[in-house]
Amino acid sequence: MTDRAVDANDGGERVGGSAEAATSVDTNGVKRVRALVAAAARVADATSELGRRARRLLVESTGLSAENVAWGLEEALEIAPSDDDIHALSSSVTAARAAHVILPANVFVAAHRAIALGLAASARVFVRPSRREPVFARLLAEAAPGLFETVAALAPTPGDHVWAYGGDRSLDAVRAALPAGTVLHAQGPGYGLAVIHAGAVDDETAAALARDVAAFDQRGCLSPRAAVVLGTSDDARHFASLVADALAAREREVPLGRLDATELAEIRRFRDAAAYAGAFSSAGSGGVLVTDAVKLGAAPVGRFLTISAVTTLDGVLREVRRELVTAVGVAGTDDLGREVSMTFAEARVSRIGEMQRPRFDGAVDRRAARGPTLSSLVGLDPR
Amino acid sequence: MLETSDALHARVRAFARGGAPDDFASLGLAIARFQAANSAGFARLVASRGARLERLEDIPGVPAETFRLTRVAVHPPELDVARFETSGTTGDERGVHAFRTTETYEAVALDAGARALVSFGRGPRVVVSLAAAPGETQSSSLGFMLGLFQREWDGRSLADGTFAREHAARWLFGPDGVDLEGLEHAAKVALRRGEPLLVLATAFALVALLDALDGRVLDAPSATAVMVTGGYKGRSREVSKAELRRGVARAFGVPETHVVSEYGMTELTSQLYEGTLPGAALAGPPDVLLEPPTLRVVPVDPVTLAAVPDGEVGMARIIDLGNVDSAVVVQTEDLVRRRDGGIELLGRQPGATARGCSLAVEAWLG
Repeated sequence: MTDRAVDANDGGERVGGSAEAATSVDTNGVKRVRALVAAAARVADATSELGRRARRLLVESTGLSAENVAWGLEEALEIAPSDDDIHALSSSVTAARAAHVILPANVFVAAHRAIALGLAASARVFVRPSRREPVFARLLAEAAPGLFETVAALAPTPGDHVWAYGGDRSLDAVRAALPAGTVLHAQGPGYGLAVIHAGAVDDETAAALARDVAAFDQRGCLSPRAAVVLGTSDDARHFASLVADALAAREREVPLGRLDATELAEIRRFRDAAAYAGAFSSAGSGGVLVTDAVKLGAAPVGRFLTISAVTTLDGVLREVRRELVTAVGVAGTDDLGREVSMTFAEARVSRIGEMQRPRFDGAVDRRAARGPTLSSLVGLDPR
Repeated sequence: MLETSDALHARVRAFARGGAPDDFASLGLAIARFQAANSAGFARLVASRGARLERLEDIPGVPAETFRLTRVAVHPPELDVARFETSGTTGDERGVHAFRTTETYEAVALDAGARALVSFGRGPRVVVSLAAAPGETQSSSLGFMLGLFQREWDGRSLADGTFAREHAARWLFGPDGVDLEGLEHAAKVALRRGEPLLVLATAFALVALLDALDGRVLDAPSATAVMVTGGYKGRSREVSKAELRRGVARAFGVPETHVVSEYGMTELTSQLYEGTLPGAALAGPPDVLLEPPTLRVVPVDPVTLAAVPDGEVGMARIIDLGNVDSAVVVQTEDLVRRRDGGIELLGRQPGATARGCSLAVEAWLG
């Protein structure tokens, strides 16, 4: 693997490990980010030709239902961030001669923030859209001509900053391909976790969680795939039944989209494993599995959730690997929210129901230098 | 329940020896019905799939990941005599395959292993492992199997002590890498005794061995065979199967046919082998894993789980008669293709979200 050093200014990895000094902050970054936000608002505008075309094209490219695409554009896309957030986002990056952005495919609106980070860093931004979902970046480019350039391949040079999103292997490949002296902002895999105080187990929390689950058909790193109830097994089972009802209801409003063969295969296996394990409640196209905490996070994409009971937040930590949690949704007291924020300091913490709408104040993924890679944590036995 | 289990175990062992009137399908169905009657989990799976258990293909496969999600056993935990743990990619979600008896495991493992690995005469041989030593709890099915082979096919001291006291001298790979000195000593003992040498190794230990040897050739008997098992999962640099086979053959100074691949899983009782070793009972081309009498592999469509046409790639649905007390059909994520009377292993079904931001189920479950 290429040598790397973590840039003290913005957490990026300097490929090759050289110690080039950071350039000064680009004061025009804020203006460029504002221009992008305005472009996003034009794409999201359902009354405009562009907005109508966006809805049609995105249904095709993402496989999401029309309702889910509309929800993403109207509820998750950051079209009215506060000035404070825009300044925070702009100051979260280091100015660069050029910025290069390799976009993710899982959640189309994520392109907005990714490009915004590049624009905050540089006036020269090159964007390589995802091959699977190239539409949204092109729509943004159309709405903001000249603000950034979409390209088929990136050609960063030393000193440039690169934002890349993807799985561990993809990011390793990017890392290996970059020339020495480039700075990589790699955002790897993660998942969302919901933490519910037993006192907050009710229909409202279940409905809010179902909204977070249904968004983008659970493909994003903010999407909850597991929930823990701080309470008894009975509390968890009760919550699971509420969530199953809520998921079914949400699916009537926001139908499940098109899943690919790999996703369907994962769902097939999960359903069979869940049927064997018991305590599985079907919920529309998806379902909820109540499990005994140890196996958190086994739910596939679509509309699935595992729910477990734990007695304390320490108990949660014993069951999850903190460095893989990108977002935590909380339902309960303010004290619980503070405790969760301290416990998952690198995750986006929000109320349940708001997990898909993190503030536009920097990268979604706040995990700076990730811990050991998954593959380095295995034992010596291959079975 | 225990009487039925014991009777089924006896039938499987007899079937493995070729000395039973049973046929594979009827024995498989008998085990499936026994499991449906005594495992609430399997009964739920059967019901959820609307399966009638009248044909072998009706038996729903228990996904391998189920072993990490819940207990997969017809008997209560207090009757366990062995609990083999899966390795787990993330190290904190280990699955368990619980055994009420290891008698059947030992019988089918020894039988299949002997057919693939025992050649150069049927006499004693020096058997060592380039694998991590099993702990006191015997939680590794691989460790259990390798220890079994060491004991049954060798069972003697490598020096003057007893077999048991020499235990550590036969486990020649650990956190510090390969015990090259120990391997060279074992090879010398085999040469001095005029016996074959059998090296039972994990793929990543062999990569470490090749790195340690740096091109040097070991002084080993010409009657040396090397069993290779397992993938890499990031434990070492990855080497292609062909390259590893070439390198290992060169390192031991033997033909490539002496390097024999084994395929096993913690969730299974039976193992598959290549049939390349000259003089061994099992015969087949390289890269083709041959099923023992107690196991069949059916490549299936990952979504419908229906068998794919012969020669096409599918996910391995493994019917293992040895799994009397757990899951007679295990649905793995390994991609295979039937060829030349066996199967070719082609990697794993990719995780749906390995390509993006959201964490793959595969990464959680290992």
